[in-house]
Amino acid sequence: MEFIDYYKTLEINKSATKADIKKAYRKLARKHHPDLNPNDENAKKKFQKINEANEVLSDPEKRKKYDEYGKDWQHAEHFEQQKQQRSQAGGGFGGGSSQSYSGSFDDDRFSDFFEQMFGGGGRTRGTGRSPHFKGQDFNAELQLNLTDVYTSHKQTLTVNGKNIRLTIPAGVENGQTIKIKGHGGPGVQGGPKGDLFITFKIANNTDFKREKEHLYSTVELDFYTALLGGEIMIDTFKGKAKLTIKPETQNGTRVKLKGKGFPKYKQEAEFGDLYITYNIKIPTNLSSKEKELYTELQKLRS
Amino acid sequence: MKTEELIATEELCERYSVEHTFIRSLYNSGLIEVITVEKREYVHCDKMAEFEKLMRLHYDLEINLEGLEAIKHLLDRVNELKNQNIALKNRLGLYE
Repeated sequence: MEFIDYYKTLEINKSATKADIKKAYRKLARKHHPDLNPNDENAKKKFQKINEANEVLSDPEKRKKYDEYGKDWQHAEHFEQQKQQRSQAGGGFGGGSSQSYSGSFDDDRFSDFFEQMFGGGGRTRGTGRSPHFKGQDFNAELQLNLTDVYTSHKQTLTVNGKNIRLTIPAGVENGQTIKIKGHGGPGVQGGPKGDLFITFKIANNTDFKREKEHLYSTVELDFYTALLGGEIMIDTFKGKAKLTIKPETQNGTRVKLKGKGFPKYKQEAEFGDLYITYNIKIPTNLSSKEKELYTELQKLRS
Repeated sequence: MKTEELIATEELCERYSVEHTFIRSLYNSGLIEVITVEKREYVHCDKMAEFEKLMRLHYDLEINLEGLEAIKHLLDRVNELKNQNIALKNRLGLYE
């Protein structure tokens, strides 16, 4: 555990007045407040740090203790006990007048340094209003494979120690966030429950490329089938399909297989399309006979 | 709309210790939706997170109503761009 320089955190010097601290805190809070930096973990951490620094420096008693012990903070409790015994003062740092900003985020996660120096009951909270009525919203990330989201399926998630069984709709997209209403934290004094927000991270474990409900695939086509036409079997997401190749098919030709794509999100039994691009393989390692015949063909064309 | 999903504005004022004029101002600026049922005003529980956010910004960071309007607009824009970014990244996968 390392010493935390709260003055440095608030970008002020040790002689800062209460007004200076308030000003510095407000300035930094406006910059790093999680409400103004949604989904920004760095801003959230920074905000927690400045909240903690303010908690200490804006409370005269805590500031005094912090200044007094400085880097010898590890012995602070010991010294404090001795001091208290001497003066028979008792008490601690439970009370205070500082204000910290509230939020439905984890702004109450103070450092081990703070906890060790001031104890769990050392913090003062709130701005005078009840910051929470609706329960806290929870955010979770769910990693799935592309094959998992081809069909709707039920999955049990453990969020904050509670098991939640939910149906993941087919066709959900990578990066998509869905709201599970009422599965967040409990409301305070009759307030509504918070919600659970799940963001899907979908890894493509297939050879298909996906864009929303459409799938894309490249199929190798042999030179003669491309030239003279024929039939080939290809892989679709769900199985095999037979394709008729038109004679004189050009390299890079793209064909659409209607309804063979990915399920459309929340549109039951509706699918996107599968686009197949042909990659024609030119024969290599020609024998002298083949070369001779191709030369003949070339002459016919020139 | 289920009435149990509505929270009376008087209750919000009491729970959060905010003035009713604050809720009225948010409504007048189009920042929150207030629903009137039998002459009583309510906020839908789905809008509570937004209300709480506006409340924090106003009371904790001392941002006035005009500032809240600007912030809301910019945050909506950030969210829109974030979604666009996700869609573009997913699309980029086609060319990788």
